[in-house]
Amino acid sequence: MSKLALTFIALVLLMVLSVVMAITFGPASINTSELMSCLFATCNNSIVNSVLWQVRIPRVLVALVAGMGLAIAGAILQNTTRNPLADPYLFGIVSGAGLGATIANITLANSLTIALPLAAFLGALFSVLIVVFIAKVLQQMEQLLLAGVAVSFMLAAITQFILYFGEPFATNRVIFWLMGSLARVEMINFYVITSVLMLVIICVIAFHRQIDALLLGDDSASSLGVNVDKLRLLMLGLCAALTATIVAYCGGIGFVGLMIPHIVRHLIGVTSLKLILGSALIGAIFLIWVDVIARSSLPHAEIPIGIITSALGSLFFLFIMYRSRAVA
Amino acid sequence: MSTLINVSQLTWKINNKYILNNINFDVCKGEIIGIIGPNGAGKTSLLRCLTNQTNLLNDKNLRGSIFLKKRDLTSYSSKQIAKHFAIVMQKNETIFALSVNDVMKMGLLPHKPLFAFDTDHDKTQILLALDKVGLKHEVNHNFNELSGGEQQRVLIARALVQSSQILILDEPTNHLDVYYQHQVLRLVKQLNLTVIMTVHDLNLASLYCQRLLLLNHGQLLADGSPTEVLTPAQLQQVFGLPCKQNIDPVNGATQVSFYLPEQESPSKKVMVVDHV
Repeated sequence: MSKLALTFIALVLLMVLSVVMAITFGPASINTSELMSCLFATCNNSIVNSVLWQVRIPRVLVALVAGMGLAIAGAILQNTTRNPLADPYLFGIVSGAGLGATIANITLANSLTIALPLAAFLGALFSVLIVVFIAKVLQQMEQLLLAGVAVSFMLAAITQFILYFGEPFATNRVIFWLMGSLARVEMINFYVITSVLMLVIICVIAFHRQIDALLLGDDSASSLGVNVDKLRLLMLGLCAALTATIVAYCGGIGFVGLMIPHIVRHLIGVTSLKLILGSALIGAIFLIWVDVIARSSLPHAEIPIGIITSALGSLFFLFIMYRSRAVA
Repeated sequence: MSTLINVSQLTWKINNKYILNNINFDVCKGEIIGIIGPNGAGKTSLLRCLTNQTNLLNDKNLRGSIFLKKRDLTSYSSKQIAKHFAIVMQKNETIFALSVNDVMKMGLLPHKPLFAFDTDHDKTQILLALDKVGLKHEVNHNFNELSGGEQQRVLIARALVQSSQILILDEPTNHLDVYYQHQVLRLVKQLNLTVIMTVHDLNLASLYCQRLLLLNHGQLLADGSPTEVLTPAQLQQVFGLPCKQNIDPVNGATQVSFYLPEQESPSKKVMVVDHV
């Protein structure tokens, strides 16, 4: 068996193991045998049963698909823009979601459970539409990223302006939401994110050769019969939908899309099939464990997951910079 | 020999400047054609038109027609064009650590439907093509770590995997030292494909091409064998320098050598800097 196949098998096993172990972590102690009997036989303890099916399992499963989705979105953007620093966050997706959530908080405070994720999703799509529009006008990859950053700052400024004059409770809610958390997720969130994730993965498998052709430049890809502009817009749209769905339910979870593909490129490979599947597995494992840290490191409180990913991400960045400096 | 490509009255004008001006020529199967001329003569633009890159032939500033196998090139889809033309670009840089195998697999793209994975037959084709260019042993090597000449040979091997009849090369010998220049062009000649390439070095063009097209300011000044095209009168008109045509005593090819005129006017000095 090839080294690549062994790596993938090891990662799948590690991911399954992470899911099982993560479910047992938390304030209410559930051991593995209780978990197994509740999952595959009858559950003797009704409290354990409800903790498992209403809290732990949805949370771990959402961490699994959110980690997969964020890492895949980063990987696709990096390969289609040939920029290893491309990340869904750089395209203004989170700022757009933040603006949507802020407006929903101020105007629709009574029906927030549905309104907040929906408004966040619409805000994220709105920001991507602006970036895509600018990209169509500019038609240059380097400027596309800069346009994303500019749009991101502009939307963040509008959000802050609204929050500054907004009611303090609404402001608090939005700020906590932007920090990212899996505390309030439900099984329905898992199903929605999984559907979008499957669509994206199927599209990447369909177009994997076209995406790979972009790695040697637009001219080279177009000489091989690839419609570069259409392919890039399709991929950008898919990444936006995926990230917007995740951000709508889980809030801002930064740096996963930047860090994970970087690791996968070194461990597994750079072409899109290897990169996307590797990013899915490592991204899932990463976010499951970050969520375990988020909910179990403080005695009676949770750390917002976005704070941990951002802290790890910035350290990771510094590490990469240090290493590339050492190589240079 | 059967005509493969027919270019007729091709004119491309942007802001009242002719990029290409009334270009007419045919390409027959199996010919090796070199497009020569000074910088800005329209060589690369002509190559872009020949392969209808970015749907160029539908540009409103472009007139004339190109027929491939007696069918208008604009009626071919980009995938169909990729099945007929394999293009080796001047610059092929990637910041990601692609292996030679990854680059080679790109050549399969025009022949694969969506969702298609690699087969054992594909792997054999890739190794056969790499063997032809003498780089079979480098199949798992990092593409970026190869020398410029080796990268060009990998891209030519990719063109073989693409199994197109016509090979287009844009300045294939740029940035290569003398040894690799000859190695790459000798390889191109041995492939038995129809080849159209732009070449800066006139003596290399003469040695490896059966036919040369001399472009200047978007116009096709001469079209014929190296001996017919590389005449002192035509070259002086294009490059602004006097030259002599010789026959190489070793390989019998037509060669040219430029020399500086004894009395230079200031304006000619500028031209010397521009073209040498």
